[in-house]
Amino acid sequence: MTVFSPLVTALARLLIFPGLLFAVPAAWFFLWVERKSVALMQGRVGPPFMQPFWDFVKLLGKSTPPRSGVAGLLMRAWPLIAVSAAAGAVGLLPVLPSSGGFEGDLILLLALLELPSICIIAAGFSSRSIFGEIGSAREAALSVSYNIVFLLAIVSIAASQHTFRLDALASAPFTALHWIGILAILVCLPAKLHINPFSLPNAEQEIYAGPMTEYAGPELAMWELSHGLEWVAGTGLIATLVAPHVTAAWLAACIFVAISFAVVLLLSALAAATARLAIDSSVRFYWQCTLIFAVLAISSVLFVRFRS
Amino acid sequence: MNILIMLWKNLLRGYQTLLFPAHPRVTPRFRGLVQFDPALCTGCAVCRFRCTSRAIEFKAGKGEFTWSYNPGQCTFCGRCVEGCAEHALKEGHTEHALSQQEAVPPIYTMQGELKKSYTVARRPPAPKPAAPPTPAPTAGEAVPSTAIGGAQ
Repeated sequence: MTVFSPLVTALARLLIFPGLLFAVPAAWFFLWVERKSVALMQGRVGPPFMQPFWDFVKLLGKSTPPRSGVAGLLMRAWPLIAVSAAAGAVGLLPVLPSSGGFEGDLILLLALLELPSICIIAAGFSSRSIFGEIGSAREAALSVSYNIVFLLAIVSIAASQHTFRLDALASAPFTALHWIGILAILVCLPAKLHINPFSLPNAEQEIYAGPMTEYAGPELAMWELSHGLEWVAGTGLIATLVAPHVTAAWLAACIFVAISFAVVLLLSALAAATARLAIDSSVRFYWQCTLIFAVLAISSVLFVRFRS
Repeated sequence: MNILIMLWKNLLRGYQTLLFPAHPRVTPRFRGLVQFDPALCTGCAVCRFRCTSRAIEFKAGKGEFTWSYNPGQCTFCGRCVEGCAEHALKEGHTEHALSQQEAVPPIYTMQGELKKSYTVARRPPAPKPAAPPTPAPTAGEAVPSTAIGGAQ
């Protein structure tokens, strides 16, 4: 029993909560919340509640053009890898108290969060479409820019608590450095989720759908699902870091969902209030404006650590 | 901050977009569903050849022909009406192709019901008008030769 218990817990986390069984409906729900709230803030009607689900079902029912060779195989593989990585990232989030975990799961979470972005870049280049390649190049440039800040923010939080365990970070006491790190992650989330003002990779008025231009049918459905799961993972990461430590599992789950929902609304308001920035402005924003704060955060953590 | 105030006001005010009217206004030049008059049709099938969206089908049979029209495929370009020499086709001015689903179902959801098919008996060809009597050539006038090279 002692051997199987961690395995069962890990499987339950990956498949039930906060894994696939929760994450997939939550992904559709967050996509709907984002679209609906942006529409309402812009004076439009917005989609019906079930729209993201029906979009997914509709895309599953369509056929894809036959693609032969390695490029075709890769194009089919990228969305599946992206979905698996995003679902794994959600499954790693320490939502419930004493839900298990291991030393270094934060690093695995960061790798899984980054994988969909790498898949998008590779998918755009695999498709051999000029729009896909431009979108992938933009995604790559943006990824290099925001990831420095994102990683420094996470590392500063981890270094301040002397651990890379997610559940230890989630239950850590709140300090000023903790909040600076969370703020830095929040600043990076719009770029990670491709929403305004950092929606360059899939700028629909300029390059159609960017890396997704050549995708259709079930493969596009998988990309949509992966995008939704990224929403759950990104907002869930903030929620786990912000949520107060409670012992009751149902209360922890409710707090997790409520904070994630609030973050989705905040990001939607940002998306509705801003226009798309050009690639040079976006890169400059992260390298010049936010990087300073991230470097300050990590240097102060290191300073405090060496003094103590 | 102005943008945030504006977003908040929008949120409280609700949506400003208008629903498609229940009964859309139809202008005199509106091109609606094509109306067919079997009594006037001669079965020349020019409409079928002019229809670029293949909404009109024509099947010729023995002593009759079948003319079908599928509004789901029609783009309401009016080329069939323009080309009908007998004026058997007319543009409808009452039905609108688009409408709110609550009021009248849109055409694409009831393609099958709207599809119309007529089997019309071929009319015998109209008798040719009698040729006007030609005046007899008078003496002294040269009779034009029809043979090449003239009389030999």
